[in-house]
Amino acid sequence: MDLVDLITEKRFFGQEFLTWLWWKSEERGGSVELEGQGDIIVVFEKHMLLEYGEADYNERLVCSGLQTELKEARTGLRTGKKLEQARLRISKDERDYNLTLGATFFEFRNVKLPKTEGSEQTAQSSDAELEGAVLEKIFLFEELVKIVNDLLRMFAEVRTSEQWPEELARVRAWVHKSADRV
Amino acid sequence: MSFLARSSSFVRFSVEGELPDNPLEFLADRISSFVFEDIDDTFEEYSVGWVSVLNMFDSAFAYGSHLYGDYVVLSLRVDERKVSPSILKKFTQKEEERIKKEKQVPKLSRTLRLEIKERIKTELTRKAMPVPAVYDLVWSLSESALYFFSTNKKAHMLLEDFFKDCFGLVLMLQIPFTTAGQLLSDEARQARLEQIAPEIFV
Repeated sequence: MDLVDLITEKRFFGQEFLTWLWWKSEERGGSVELEGQGDIIVVFEKHMLLEYGEADYNERLVCSGLQTELKEARTGLRTGKKLEQARLRISKDERDYNLTLGATFFEFRNVKLPKTEGSEQTAQSSDAELEGAVLEKIFLFEELVKIVNDLLRMFAEVRTSEQWPEELARVRAWVHKSADRV
Repeated sequence: MSFLARSSSFVRFSVEGELPDNPLEFLADRISSFVFEDIDDTFEEYSVGWVSVLNMFDSAFAYGSHLYGDYVVLSLRVDERKVSPSILKKFTQKEEERIKKEKQVPKLSRTLRLEIKERIKTELTRKAMPVPAVYDLVWSLSESALYFFSTNKKAHMLLEDFFKDCFGLVLMLQIPFTTAGQLLSDEARQARLEQIAPEIFV
């Protein structure tokens, strides 16, 4: 199957991952345990795009707002919509990453990396300082991708396991409870 | 959006294919053969090539290497002279009117009108200033993975073609499904992943 067909046919997988991750992050109040690495913080905040259906039957719902409880988005889940894009804050070892994650193309949008000493390089910085700053940025981008991939692996493992029906029942219960809270 | 900016957007590609035994020499040679060539003082319509991530005017990599540890860090610069359709339409019609008056005819043939349009397009393109676009990338040689700092689909296609021409390697966009396939270690799970169908979460 070529990539264009694969993107269309399997886009549900990325949307299920994001929707599952929202549930996972709320299951323990924002804490998610990564295997062998301890807890990290995953918070869904201020911007979400939900979708339902394909092509001509595609419906989209955009929710945003700083202090919202994402009420419309929760109601959207109840009507069968899934997350296509979400703004996330991920914290690991006191490093905060902010990003908007896209489900279909796995886009990392508007990524803000943790502030470090190397963040403030100027044109006057020496070559060694600039090289250090570039390598530090790469390290942080790679750490972010590794965290997201670890979360994706957790989802893929449970999604392909015999425990999936139980996990799905918990996600469904959360969808109903979430919408009732609105 | 620059990779060094405070906020940036990117997608990931896997790099398919093998580098030769002398990878660093090969890369240096290929990059220098595909550097960006300025078209400001020419009539060329389009130019694409590598520049330094630290300076879009540096295609000799005088301000910094393209190699940072185990990573190739480059910017893909594209300059293009563009003429907006409305400007092209306006000047084509103006020229048609001039010729009609000159020849004292009420209408021009289709062939002549096409010729006029092509000529005007060439003239306007030559006058237009090249519009630059710069896209950063970070290529991890050990992971055969590439971070491309743009979410623009046209830029992705341009990168895929240019990268293949330059290095003879193929880029594959990493989407959640393909990434998950690589992350699952066990073959039985990979096979199950291929079979899964969409679930309803309500």
